[in-house]
Amino acid sequence: MQSRKLGWLLLAPTLIVLFLFGVVPFVYVVYVSFHDWNPFAANPDMVFSGANNFRRAVFDAGFLASLGVTVAFVFFAVLSELVIGYALAQAFMKDFPGKAFFRTIHTLPLIMAPIIVGSIWKLMTTPSIGIIPSLLDSWFGYDMNIGQSAATAFVITVIMDIWHWTPLVTLTLIAALVSLPPDPFEQAQIDGANKRQIFWHITLPMIAPAVVATVFIRLMDALRTVDEVLMLTGGGPGSATRYVGVHIFKEVFPRTNYGYGSAVSVIVLYLTIVVCWLLYVSMLAPRNSKKG
Amino acid sequence: MSNVQISNVVKRYGAVQVMHGVSVDIEDGEFVVLVGPSGCGKSTLLRMLAGLEEVSGGTISIGGRVVNDVIPKDRDIAMVFQSYALYPHKTVYDNMGFPLKMAGRPKAEIDTKVRKAAEILDLTKYLDRYPKALSGGQRQRVAMGRAIVRDPQVFLFDEPLSNLDAKLRVTMRLEIKELHQRLKTTIVYVTHDQIEAMTMADKIVVMRDGRVEQIGAPLDLYDNPQNLFVAGFIGSPSMNFIHGRIILREGRKAFRSDGGLELPVPATAAADGQAVTLGIRPEHIRIGPGGIPVRVVVLEPTGSETQVFARSGGELIDAVVKDRIHARPGDEIGYHIDPERIHLFDRETERRI
Ligand SMILES: Nc1ncnc2c1ncn2[C@@H]1O[C@H](COP(=O)(O)OP(=O)(O)O)[C@@H](O)[C@H]1O
Ligand SMILES: [Mg+2]
Repeated sequence: MQSRKLGWLLLAPTLIVLFLFGVVPFVYVVYVSFHDWNPFAANPDMVFSGANNFRRAVFDAGFLASLGVTVAFVFFAVLSELVIGYALAQAFMKDFPGKAFFRTIHTLPLIMAPIIVGSIWKLMTTPSIGIIPSLLDSWFGYDMNIGQSAATAFVITVIMDIWHWTPLVTLTLIAALVSLPPDPFEQAQIDGANKRQIFWHITLPMIAPAVVATVFIRLMDALRTVDEVLMLTGGGPGSATRYVGVHIFKEVFPRTNYGYGSAVSVIVLYLTIVVCWLLYVSMLAPRNSKKG
Repeated sequence: MSNVQISNVVKRYGAVQVMHGVSVDIEDGEFVVLVGPSGCGKSTLLRMLAGLEEVSGGTISIGGRVVNDVIPKDRDIAMVFQSYALYPHKTVYDNMGFPLKMAGRPKAEIDTKVRKAAEILDLTKYLDRYPKALSGGQRQRVAMGRAIVRDPQVFLFDEPLSNLDAKLRVTMRLEIKELHQRLKTTIVYVTHDQIEAMTMADKIVVMRDGRVEQIGAPLDLYDNPQNLFVAGFIGSPSMNFIHGRIILREGRKAFRSDGGLELPVPATAAADGQAVTLGIRPEHIRIGPGGIPVRVVVLEPTGSETQVFARSGGELIDAVVKDRIHARPGDEIGYHIDPERIHLFDRETERRI
């Protein structure tokens, strides 16, 4: 049993760090979500309030609206990232002059801090300063104002997310495509499948694990987008781009409403898990559960 | 009609030419085996037949139609890859039904055909399994099943048995041959194993370095190899070669090896003094009293037969005999060589004389 003890001993540092920085804060957030807590108020004590925060969140029109725009934001952003990312990955599978250069360049957005991305896009989209409104105006005579048009603000945040995160999708999909064996694809050609059928029947199922993993990562990331949007639109105009992350931020920091903020976080976490689980079940589980 | 004509086919990869004008005529229902050492271009030729590889020159026609520019799916061929190329995410049933599904056949028809093929190949029990849960032999059969459900004009096999163990290989060899007798579909089968070629083929195409060396029925190649390469490639253990020249002995042509060994030869067109290589198959040498004296070097008994390696005048000549022999290394024994079994090749051109 010596080796067993040694094993635990070797694992201990990792487990301790995981526990301290993963489990403890999570449990703490859950704990806080059942309390009224405003540490900067006259009464800074935590007061147990049962499920009050949750009840409030569920009936809070602001929160529900924010959930709604978040779902739309995540849906459009992640879907576009997948489609564009896949197209780029396929393009990078072929040989063309300057391929290595473009592949490097296209990952640059990934290494930028979200706050920087937000500032850049703010610069580019601010009316009368930014290049985008200026070009749209001179080419199409279109007056773009992300401070006034809810739709424009929404679209721009989606585009910003696509710009920032598509390279991640491209990279993971390239890795998946490169590792595919060539034979099933030639076999499918002989079996009479056309390009579209090969994609749906062979390529997609074979890269599904990578696609699902990528979607998980992007979904979780997109659901907690805060800084870029806060920088670009501040959640406005109105609450057009007040995504849950932004909502929680605005709820917790100006109002120092920690209990309520925690409750909303827990709900969002729960929804994220449910969505990921549904995705997993629908895309991967059938294959793993059948006998074989 | 599903005869296949390969005329003067050339293949280049960039500046490198790997196939130099290959021509093969394959008749309807024939079992043709392309055989040759690794790298000789068998797979490339098969892939050109399938349409997976472009033809750089010459023509390929299937059923009288030139298919050089026809995409694989429109050639009405089925192919079994060496790796089997099963779809890992599909069950055996879906793997086998895939070509029919792509052809838009009705579900009921797919079901009937898949079940029938599964029965022929003894796969009915495994229809719900995924490829990863099958043994090598079962995967191989699934790949064949996927080919036969389509009822194609031509089957193409690329070394389908080389990933199986020796015993299974023999079984599958029989199964494929039986399948061919039942379906009577044209088969083009690639292998590097001359035994597979000999046992399965109606017609063997021996290839080397992107060229056809000889085409013929298995026994035809065995009896009348047209050149040194085919003589050495076909037959196991392979033919003994002895270098020497033709001489005259008592007014008749004979052979004298560089080491001084003299052998009578059959009536031959070889000229007196011509440098030749003499070939004699190990199984055509008898051992007994008298004959050519040779000294035993090594004996390799396998139970059913014994391979004898013996030396005479610098030449190492092996013989295969059915009877047990009681000689030991170092003993002198006698080789008897029937002149009618001797093959003579020109040493310069390596062609049969
Ligand atoms: N994609 C390719 N590019 C360049 N050379 C190739 C390619 N594929 C095959 N070859 C060459 O063509 C020759 C024949 O290959 P192949 O048909 O695979 O041989 P075999 O199947 O008889 O072992 C080999 O010399 C190989 O190196
Ligand atoms: Mg090959």
